[in-house]
Amino acid sequence: MRNRFIESTSLANLKILQKISQKRKLVSFYWEITARCNNRCRHCYNALTAGDKLAQKKELTLGQIKDIAHQSVGLGALWCSLTGGEPLLREDFLDIYLSLKKAGLLVSIFTNATLITKEHVRVFKKYPPRDMEVTVYGVTRETYERVSRNPGSFSSFKRGVALLRKENIPIRFKAMALHSNSHELPAMAQAYRKITKDYFRFDPFLCLRIDGNPGKNNQIKSERLLPAEIASLERNDPERFTALKNNCSNLINDLLSYSNCRYIFQCGAGISSVYIGYDGRLRLCSALSQPDCVYDLAGGSLSDAWENFIPKIRSMTSANKDFLKKCKTCSIINLCMWCPAHTYLETGALDKPVEYFCAVAHARAQMLGWGRINE
Amino acid sequence: MEKKAHLDRVYKVSDDVVAREIQGEFILIPVTSGIADMEDEIFALNETGKAIWHRLDGTRTLKEVVEDLSLEFSGSTENIRNDALGLVGELLKRKMVV
Repeated sequence: MRNRFIESTSLANLKILQKISQKRKLVSFYWEITARCNNRCRHCYNALTAGDKLAQKKELTLGQIKDIAHQSVGLGALWCSLTGGEPLLREDFLDIYLSLKKAGLLVSIFTNATLITKEHVRVFKKYPPRDMEVTVYGVTRETYERVSRNPGSFSSFKRGVALLRKENIPIRFKAMALHSNSHELPAMAQAYRKITKDYFRFDPFLCLRIDGNPGKNNQIKSERLLPAEIASLERNDPERFTALKNNCSNLINDLLSYSNCRYIFQCGAGISSVYIGYDGRLRLCSALSQPDCVYDLAGGSLSDAWENFIPKIRSMTSANKDFLKKCKTCSIINLCMWCPAHTYLETGALDKPVEYFCAVAHARAQMLGWGRINE
Repeated sequence: MEKKAHLDRVYKVSDDVVAREIQGEFILIPVTSGIADMEDEIFALNETGKAIWHRLDGTRTLKEVVEDLSLEFSGSTENIRNDALGLVGELLKRKMVV
């Protein structure tokens, strides 16, 4: 709709987004309002137990959240995604949610939906989220709870989704693909695409633990699919295959030429988005936990982090010859899971090749019919 | 629901909309449902619209708003009056002013 005084537009067509597409401006941020979760998923890189009192004590208060939200609005941020852990585990979740909405942010929610109540739905109906992404682990109780390791969670999930659907709250679905549920992925895609107006997507990359817990890392590695299995899953999912084929060249930020430079960070992290941890520690993305790359908002401000700290991180360069030779000149880097954050979790360094990532990229290239790639 | 603006009425911007200025664009973000037709709809006001919006504070009639705008903007009072009536009419339709 357009007339002389007022113009309405969809978010995707908003002029502001077009204006800043070639600039470094804060548009969106992920906010992990708790790291605690009622599930104990086999593959989770982040979550702590629901009853972790120490973690709960470190969580930002509603007042601190309002203050940071106000700072983000001052910087021009438009979009906030609430995540966790399980964000609904916080007793003051609705207060947090409404304070962000009333600050003028578009709010998305990432949840497992097991804790959805009628009160949540009543509030979402009146104050709609931008969208809700519900994580799913299977289509049967056996598979779902094999992954979630939370007895009764499948029926809670189904009840939560039913409540949301009954009131037409827009939801979409996401699954992590792991050994424990990969046999149900095609059935998941079919079942959940049927009941969403948006999308079902799956992610085959299991990130290692932020806290570096060796036992949990071994468990995550044991759940990882083989490169050929990942390629096969993607090949057999038309939506995923088409998206990968059409969009893989967009994974590297156009502002930065990938080859012929020694910069470590080539992704969009810190270009238009950041990640705020439950304890107020800001990272460029959810997985970037290297201590030098973390900014404590308690001792500074979002503006200082955005204007001064992040540019320093993004200007980091590599002197690792192996990385510069193998990754920086790689012709299929856009198919790779490599990024500084994941690499740090895998190797303890930000700039090393990772054999598993390399193998997945080559399996994907073969699947896409790109022929044999010379390294 | 009143959908036509009147000069002798007092209007106030709704608490269910947040106005923000980002990158020189003045946008209205609906907080509650029932304002936008589409799920991801956002509204932008031009300079005239922005000036009118800021004056809809629930303390003065639209006629007084027009008089105030006439002091700031060039152009005939009639044009400004028509602009104000047109915009407030659009905002009323969307429950963005009360």
